[in-house]
This record gives sequence, C-alpha cells and structure tokens, in this order.
Amino acid sequence: MRSDTKKEGLWKFGAYIFLLTITVLVMIPLYWMIVAATIPQSEFFTWPPRLIPGTQWLANFEALQENVNFLRSMGNSVIIAVSYTALSLVLCSMAGFAFAKYEFRFKEPLFYFILATLVLPIQLLIIPLFLLMVQIGWTNSYLAVILPWAANPLGIFLMRQNMKAIPDSLLESARMDGATEFQLYYKIALPTMLPSLAALAIILFLNQWQAFLYPLVILQDPQMYTIPLALADLVGQQRVYFDQIMVATSLAVTPIFIVFLTMQQYFIKGILSGSVKQ
Amino acid sequence: MATIDITNLRKEFGDGNERIVAVEDFDLTIQDGEFLVFVGPSGCGKTTTLRCIAGLEDVTEGTIEFDGEDVTDRRARDRDVAMVFQNYALYPHMTVRKNIGFPLRLSTKKSTDEIDDEVEAIASMLGIETLLDQKPRELSGGQQQRVALGRAIIRDPQLFLMDEPLSNLDAKLRSTMRTELQELQTELGVTTAYVTHDQTEAMAMGDRIAVMNDGELQQVGTASEVYRAPENEFVAGFIGSPSINLLTADVDGATLRGPGGFAYEMEDPSLVEGHDRIRVGVRPEDLELDPDGGMPSEVTVVEEMGNENFLYAVMGDIDITARIESVIHPEAGKTVTFGFDEEDLYLFDAETTEAVKTKTGETDVDYDQYVQPSH
Repeated sequence: MRSDTKKEGLWKFGAYIFLLTITVLVMIPLYWMIVAATIPQSEFFTWPPRLIPGTQWLANFEALQENVNFLRSMGNSVIIAVSYTALSLVLCSMAGFAFAKYEFRFKEPLFYFILATLVLPIQLLIIPLFLLMVQIGWTNSYLAVILPWAANPLGIFLMRQNMKAIPDSLLESARMDGATEFQLYYKIALPTMLPSLAALAIILFLNQWQAFLYPLVILQDPQMYTIPLALADLVGQQRVYFDQIMVATSLAVTPIFIVFLTMQQYFIKGILSGSVKQ
Repeated sequence: MATIDITNLRKEFGDGNERIVAVEDFDLTIQDGEFLVFVGPSGCGKTTTLRCIAGLEDVTEGTIEFDGEDVTDRRARDRDVAMVFQNYALYPHMTVRKNIGFPLRLSTKKSTDEIDDEVEAIASMLGIETLLDQKPRELSGGQQQRVALGRAIIRDPQLFLMDEPLSNLDAKLRSTMRTELQELQTELGVTTAYVTHDQTEAMAMGDRIAVMNDGELQQVGTASEVYRAPENEFVAGFIGSPSINLLTADVDGATLRGPGGFAYEMEDPSLVEGHDRIRVGVRPEDLELDPDGGMPSEVTVVEEMGNENFLYAVMGDIDITARIESVIHPEAGKTVTFGFDEEDLYLFDAETTEAVKTKTGETDVDYDQYVQPSH
C-alpha cells in the first residue's frame, strides 16, 4: 500500500518534470522574440545569445512604423478578425442549431455537402473568388476578406455536434412557455452553448488573424494590409528586418492572448448539467 | 380552466412503408377541473397523446378542442397550456427565480418587479423560497421537480400536462410529491392530464383513469370502475398489484375446468352459456386458502410484507399469486388449495377478451356510524 503511494508520487513527479520541460521549450522562442524586439539587429547573432531585454524597443517600433505603417495594419487585422469572428459565430451557431434541432427536406444531403467543402483547398477557391470580387468591385475592402469565409463549414459542424447535446425537452419546454423559434435560439440554445462558442471564437479569430494567401490576393493597397501582409513586406530581397519583425510579431500575438483570456472564463464544465434529470 | 375534447385522434410517425401508428381511434373528454391520468405500458401512446394535446406533435387525423374551440392546428405557445416534463427540463443557465419567471417574461408585459412578486409567491407556496438564487444543478431532484411545477403554475394556464413527473424521484419522495400534487391541483382547480406507467400512482391520483394499450384507449373510469369493472382482459391485467390471476378454462355445463386440476362450479351458469372456452380471472386479494376450493397449487415462494404475505404458486403451468394473512407461512413445495367467491370472479371472452363478468360485490358501504358528529 505504502509502496504504491510512493510509486504514484514518483510518477507524478516525473510527469511534472516532463511537462515543465515542454513548457520551457515552448516558451524559449516566445521569450527570444520579446528580447529580440528590444535589441538592435547587430546583436542578433552574437554568441552567447543575449538573454536580457535591451532598450531599443521604441527605436525598433518607430522604424517598423515608418517602414510598413504597422499600426494601420494592426487596425485592419483587428477590424477584419473581430467582425469575421462575430459574424461567423452568428452564422455557424444558427446553421448548427437548424441542422441539430429541426427537420427539413434535404437536411442530411445539405449538411454533408457543407462538410464536403472542408476538403477543398483554399488555393482552389482563390482565383474564382478573386474574379468574383473584381466583378462586384470589392477588392481592397474589408467585406471581401470577411464575407466569403463567414459561413465556416468547420464552425457549422462543431456547432451542430454540440447543439445536438441540448435536450429536446428543454426547447419544447420553452415553446410551451411561449418562446418563438428565434427566442429558442438566443435565449436557450446560445447561453447553454457558451463553452463551444468560446472555443469556436478562438479558432475563427486565429484563422483570420493569421490568414495570408487570400488577403494577399484581395488586398493590394498597402493601406489595407493586415499584419501577415505587412510582415511579409519586411522580408526584402536585399535585407530582412529581423528587429522590426520581432517588434511586429510580439505586438501581433497580444490580441491572441487577449482573445484567449477573455474566452477562457466561458470554458465552464458541464453548463448543461442540471437542465434535465437523467 | 377548460374542458378538453379529443375526437377521433390518430397519430402516425414516419412515412411510406415505415409508418408507425402511435395513437388511433382516440375519443375522450377531460372535464373542466378534472385530474385525468393516462396509464399504460411503455409504448402504448400515452405520452404521444399528451404531446398532441400540448401541440408538440402534429396530429395525423382528428381534432382537439379546448372549451369548444378547435386548437388542433394551433402552435404549442398559443394554446395556454403548461407542461411538466419527465426530466423537468429546467433552463440550466438561469437561476430558479428566472426559470419560474421565464413564461411570464415571454408572454406578458408585466414589469420585472411584478414578475418577481409572483415568482416569490409561487416559490413560497412550493416551499422553495430560499432557493430562488440557485442554479438547477445545485438542487436535489425533489427541488428541481418543485421548480418545474412552479414554472407551470405561474402562468395560470387552462390546462396542466404532466409527463411522468414523479418517475425520477425515490419512492419516499414520490409518495410525498404525489400527495402534494393532488392538493395543489385541488387548490388551483386547473384541468390536468397526467401520464404515468405506474398503475398505483394512477389509481391514487386520478379523478378518472384512461387506460391505454397499443395506441388505443381501452377504458376510462374512476379507480374503482377500472379495478372492479374492467372492460377487457388487458385492463384487468394492468390495473391491480399484484396482477390478477388469469387462466383459460373449458366450459363444461356449469363447471369451469382449467389447467392443473382447476375446477369451479358456477352458481349462475347462464353467464357462460354459449362459450366453449373462457378466460377466468381472480385477483390475488380475493383468493382464500380453502381445503374445499378448486385451485390446488404448489407453493414456490412466500414473500413476507409485514402486514400480509404474498404467496406465489403454480397450478399446472399457470403462475398463481395470492395475498394471504401475515401469520400464514406455507412452505415451498407444499400443495395448498385456494377458493374464491363467485362475486369476485372475472370472466373474459376467450376470443375477443371483452369482459363477460366482473366483480359484483357491494361497492358502497354506509359509513355514517363512523363519522364523528360535527360541533
């Protein structure tokens, strides 16, 4: 008995050491990114590498701003990613709710058709989409980046799977209480789906935040560039601006942390518990 | 409060070759203020009927009227009906206060203060006033049940529908809630349709009981009517606990002869005239140990209940159950003989299963002598 407890303790200790090592390994590049953003480029390749942050951050940032108007790109990215995430959450949750809780003609084929679009590579869609955007005059606009991907098939799939877990009796009960079908969606289904919505919000935000290829084709005006496009401009044929790239990337990851920390509070385990007696 | 008229109701599920008839030829009137209990085995169509009344299922044929007004095609939310679900269906993200007040917030223009006052009054009536700020997951089964009831009561609906609301509670709580529900229904006077598969619950609670089987209404009547005068063998078998003893007997003049040496001499043979074979039923509580009786049976098990014993035996290939006095303990393997009075005998047509004879004993005993004079 005693030796079992001891063995278990050793296993736990080993597991913590392992996890700690992985965490450190993951954190090293992030830390290096922050240090690198504060030192001149000349100190990048010194040996041993510099581990203490310097005082060059502001100078590096000013150079970055002068070079690619980074704040404007960050604004563009925020507008596009936030609007896309919000719109996509609404569309995916509504579609997921319909697929999970309503019966209508061609429901199954339609759902599998939407799922099938997941396997289409983005490269296949870029040219037709570009031509479409040119025709309706939407190139160099936020809408052109936000709208085509807003009804996200992965999001619809995730919401449908999660909304299937809502007991039918919960919705029927609300119907009996006088709720309209739309009230069922936003007063009952959405609040019980907060953890899934939070997870999906992170996925959608990240997708759009780091999107490169499609925005590169649609947004040609540097004033409309998102962060990934601006970063790409820092890699020239003659020179790579490592110091500016590090300032830009360290700033670019900040909204991701904010989104994650905001959404984290909604990861409440078992929000549906207590709704129905099993 | 409303009178509910259901006429020629039929409900089918599926389409084409996979059509399943859940309810058919269903006619019933639930009187204003009545507590009517639907009872029957699983899959008999009782919940489907309730859902049709609620408006949660479209009916295939037939009409449903509330006080003479046809509501067959009306949506659930426009029927002014409240329903308590088997699993309570409480909104998990709302507090008890919000759960109970939810129907009022949706269907009335009352202010938040007015709604809060009503919620508090209902909660106090149900004894849950201290739980108003808790979430459903923090409540016990009985408390959740009361919240579900509160949500139904607060709307002051025309009709209460309850779908096995006590089936998730433990035996003791179920018994308490059964009484509370009856008192509540009497106090509110709202027409109530209640579904259960538990015939004891049905007998104890209903003003009338609607017994269903295979999607068809078998009989509607008071507890005493369905127990004493079942219209067919199914009702006789379903109502009563333990179940009625049934066997097939050959009619030999005035004598009924069955398996295992069963023989019974009819005092009134005219009842079985024209029948070659007949189904015979005797309730366990009507069997008496009688050395001259015509039911020799081999004892298999005796279950002691304290106040009485259940005796299980076999007569030929027929299982027999009898309720006997608690002081009598026949040993397993011994043969005992049962007898019964003809007034307690049930007879059913062997082909149609319709009742030929039911209990005929006295039903109304004068109890004036036991009543205390009022002061």
